[in-house]
Amino acid sequence: MNDTWFQILGALPPLLVALSVIGLFVTLCIARHERLVYAMTVGGLNLALVATIALIPLGPVAVTPLYIVDFYTLFFWGVILVATLACAAFAMPYLSGFNDRREEFYILLATSALGAMSLVAARHFGSLFVGLEALSIPLYGMVAYTFRTRASLEAGFKYMILSGVASAFLLFGMALLYGATGSLAFTNLIPAGGYDADAGPWMLMGIGMMLVALTFKLSLVPFHVWTPDVYEGAPAPVATFLATVSKTAVFALLLRLFVSAPITDNAWLLTLVGVLALASMLIGNLLALRQDNLKRLLGYSSIAHLGYLLTTLVAGASLSIEAVAVYLATYVGTSLGAFGVVSLVSSPFAGKDAAHIDHFRGLYYKRPVLAVSMAIMMLSLAGIPLTMGFIGKFYILSVTMASGLWWLTGGVIVGSGIALFYYLRVMAILFMDRPAHAREPQLSGTGDNWAQTVVWLLAAATILMGIYPAPLIDLAAVAGITLGS
Amino acid sequence: MEPAVQHTVVIWPLILFLVAALGLVTVMLGLSYVLGGRHDNRLGNQPYESGIKPTGSARTKFSAKFYLVAIIFVLFDLEIVFIFSWAISARDLGWVGYEAFLTFLFDLTLGFAYAWKIGALDWSPRAPRQLRLDAIESNQQRNLPSEQTS
Amino acid sequence: MLLCWLLFIPFIGGLACWATSRGRDNAGLARVIAFLSMAAVFVPAVVVWFTGDFSLSGDPSIAPAWQYEIAADWISRFGIEFHLALDGLSLVMVMLASVLGMLSVVASASTVKSCVGVFHANLLWTLGGVIGIFLAIDLFLYFFFWELMLIPMYFLIALWGHEENDRSTNTAAAVKFFIYTQTSGLAMLAAILGLVFLHYDQSGVLTFDYNQLLTTDTSGAFGMVLMLGFFLAFAVKLPAVPFHGWLADTQANAPTSGAVDLSGILVKTAAYGLLRFALPLFPEASANFAPVAMTLGLISIYYGAVMAFAQNDIKRLISYSSISHMGFVLVGLYAGTMLALQGVVLQVLASAVSTAALFILAGQLYERMGTRDMRALGGLFGRLGALPGFSLVFVVASLGMPATGNFLGEFLILFGAFAAHPWFVVIAAGGMILAAVYALYMMHRVYWGNPDAGGTIATMRVREYTMMMALVLITLILGLFPNTVLHVTQTVTHDISSWFAAGVIAAAQTS
Repeated sequence: MNDTWFQILGALPPLLVALSVIGLFVTLCIARHERLVYAMTVGGLNLALVATIALIPLGPVAVTPLYIVDFYTLFFWGVILVATLACAAFAMPYLSGFNDRREEFYILLATSALGAMSLVAARHFGSLFVGLEALSIPLYGMVAYTFRTRASLEAGFKYMILSGVASAFLLFGMALLYGATGSLAFTNLIPAGGYDADAGPWMLMGIGMMLVALTFKLSLVPFHVWTPDVYEGAPAPVATFLATVSKTAVFALLLRLFVSAPITDNAWLLTLVGVLALASMLIGNLLALRQDNLKRLLGYSSIAHLGYLLTTLVAGASLSIEAVAVYLATYVGTSLGAFGVVSLVSSPFAGKDAAHIDHFRGLYYKRPVLAVSMAIMMLSLAGIPLTMGFIGKFYILSVTMASGLWWLTGGVIVGSGIALFYYLRVMAILFMDRPAHAREPQLSGTGDNWAQTVVWLLAAATILMGIYPAPLIDLAAVAGITLGS
Repeated sequence: MEPAVQHTVVIWPLILFLVAALGLVTVMLGLSYVLGGRHDNRLGNQPYESGIKPTGSARTKFSAKFYLVAIIFVLFDLEIVFIFSWAISARDLGWVGYEAFLTFLFDLTLGFAYAWKIGALDWSPRAPRQLRLDAIESNQQRNLPSEQTS
Repeated sequence: MLLCWLLFIPFIGGLACWATSRGRDNAGLARVIAFLSMAAVFVPAVVVWFTGDFSLSGDPSIAPAWQYEIAADWISRFGIEFHLALDGLSLVMVMLASVLGMLSVVASASTVKSCVGVFHANLLWTLGGVIGIFLAIDLFLYFFFWELMLIPMYFLIALWGHEENDRSTNTAAAVKFFIYTQTSGLAMLAAILGLVFLHYDQSGVLTFDYNQLLTTDTSGAFGMVLMLGFFLAFAVKLPAVPFHGWLADTQANAPTSGAVDLSGILVKTAAYGLLRFALPLFPEASANFAPVAMTLGLISIYYGAVMAFAQNDIKRLISYSSISHMGFVLVGLYAGTMLALQGVVLQVLASAVSTAALFILAGQLYERMGTRDMRALGGLFGRLGALPGFSLVFVVASLGMPATGNFLGEFLILFGAFAAHPWFVVIAAGGMILAAVYALYMMHRVYWGNPDAGGTIATMRVREYTMMMALVLITLILGLFPNTVLHVTQTVTHDISSWFAAGVIAAAQTS
């Protein structure tokens, strides 16, 4: 087996996704058939997932100087593919009331997932930028997909313009770093005076600008302002995708950048990241307190969660990478479930503001299993034991305690305390008496049963992982070792 | 070489460029300000239309079609940049590069076919108009109830 | 095997109860299942009580002497094990939990009407979590149960809370309860992790095992911070005074059986936690911290008593009185002598029983009179059958009358603490007078005075009567034959007191 084939083998999962995107185009050029398009998307993603799992024994493969397929990559490919599949499952019933072309949504979804996969494997600024744009550009279309509802269009524009600004920052930062080091590969970003020297002002400015762009994508304070509006306006499955796949990919990249680029080992920079983390978890949680729209609430809560996650970058403990892997996996699973319920209950084609919290009042008496799933997801987001969210929080606290970051530990505790208030509020509302004027949850629609099954599976996984997290932890540990080495 | 000297050596074309750009603008605006005649009365401020009184706004609406065609043109036109950059190093890249480039062109063609298929290239109003009518109709069906509730 | 049985029976019973609510709501069956599950916990515990050997072990410096122990790998990455063990202290607490559990089931029979199956499922899961707390000696597992019991408790308060209020008031109370305990719990988790990493630094072994963590050297400022993390969680749950804000609201809004649960057991998990974890793991820090903790205890005693005196709602009065009782517990715990610790165990048990009894009686009173406001009551003695009589018994018990367990508990605490901290004891003893004041004042306002009319309003049902008789019996056993309990717990308290004494010496040397 020669080297090229070996590299192609390593890049098989994204290639499969790319092939399915091309296949979708071919299909749409010939005939429009929603079921077929859906089946092709899901089939392609599933094949990619299988390929990802099959690649586990292969070991690290360097695919050109741009990409590296190690276990860390494979782990996050798995997370991204599962999340994308779930989004596709939620999109099917959600779009069933959409009276326009529905097929293109899946093309955008798969392309965006492709960008996310490229981002996770990137070890070079070139692949980073290509991945980030391939992730973002289809997202503009997805956010504004139901463009006849004004909120969706508005959200799309907001996201596009702000994203464009962020990309400009990213490019400028890269250019500065390239100017300072003469290299675009992560591992070559060495301060001028050698590994132990302090980075000069140009490098710090460069990495700072990149940080601005990436924290924008992660919607960390102070670059979080777009998040609630976009989440609220975007169709629920797209909000799901934004909250899970987009966040996972960008964070996985950020972590790889911080682990492999020597210039990020700078006390000033790490303190800055710590301040961002603290601000995100406190402000995100505080702002979530007063939200009545569930999508906005989840948007703010995702800000806080990314804040918790960011503490691992500051800590730099040996446990950090593993913690990120576990936390992201649990967070993605939980968010998928929560957003899944939202997109199943709300549909934009029957009235305004479908994600208002009042629509969920007494959901337990109409659709008990869905309500119980939602309650489990809320508990998991709050980090209560018996759910996998707790395992994630346990990891975060372990990391902060192990590296003696008392102020961040305090921040996590206070933030979680505040967060409980609104998670419990949502949970309580699910079980309250149902007012007479409440809107009936949307029930009919093709693919609804399948989407429900996905929600149930996620709820079951949340509990199972909460009780017996050893398999997930083992996987994450391997991912941490391969990246750390 | 002293770092400061190196710095000036690298940076002087930039400064020259900056000065030239600013200077050009200043000269153009400044000269016309100094040399141009000025008078301030009612008729003098009107646009010159060969004696005919101007009516209406200068801003006219163009069909969105123009923008669509323009953007599609830009999209396919820009690919030349990639073709050039490939062509320069085609020999070095060898057959692998050729295959990769063929893939790229195939994808491009596919995009073109797709754009054609969905009617983005049709200038004649028939097909798009029908679509538009459908859309308006469905819009009315859908939006009416929600408009009332707001 | 026995430990798994004790732990899992409530959870399985809870599932069974939930299963009965599927389809048609089979209330009676759910009640029977719930009662039988708690009995299935109680009976083996009693057998162990009689057959077990709880004699003093010779040397407390070796690992604690467990009667039963079971361990299985759980999350090997962190050295976390599913590790249960039982000694005299856990046994006593498990029995308390099962008895109060049975009472809760019986007491809720007349008040809980809706979703009976789900209610009992939540009740049993709470109790399962509590029993888990008493049995777990892996700190991660312990924390797991510590948080686990909050969820069903939340639902108990939010969904089946006090009928007079609407849902949102109950939910608000439930949320308050949850936030207080969960946030402080996270502080404890951070402290647990800090302790584990400290142990890892010292020995190179990553473990959450209590037996191994006991060997950690926790002197110094870091140990103090970790101890404060533990103390915060326990002080909130106990509750000691600056952290007591949730208790009265929660108990006033909880359903009768829920309140029984809460005051009887949940609150006692804190005393257990201090006894089992805070003192042995951080002897030196605890010794240094003792004056502060005992001062908090004193403040709790007086504050609880004064606040109890000012209440109009019977349930709120009882919850403030339980704050006052827990003040004694805090004083006894940080005195740290064996006598005082034995007193703490007795006080915890006796106060749990008497408070639970008073809550049940308040519930029954509410059921008959339709109000718990003492301003609207009065002159009921002789009009409610045996109810006022039982109330008198438990009011007297709660103020610490000899022949009741409460008296012995308080006496042993004060007696045991006197040698080391005479002034604290003198001040604490004054609190007992206030206890008499608020308890008798309540009795006076509710039952004595001029009746509005003659005639009997309602008598007690057989079920209620039996329940009360059983509680009276327990109180008397605790008061008259305290050795039945003290004999079982002496090994544990002996060990803890000797660790603590070593901590006191170490603290004296460093200061």
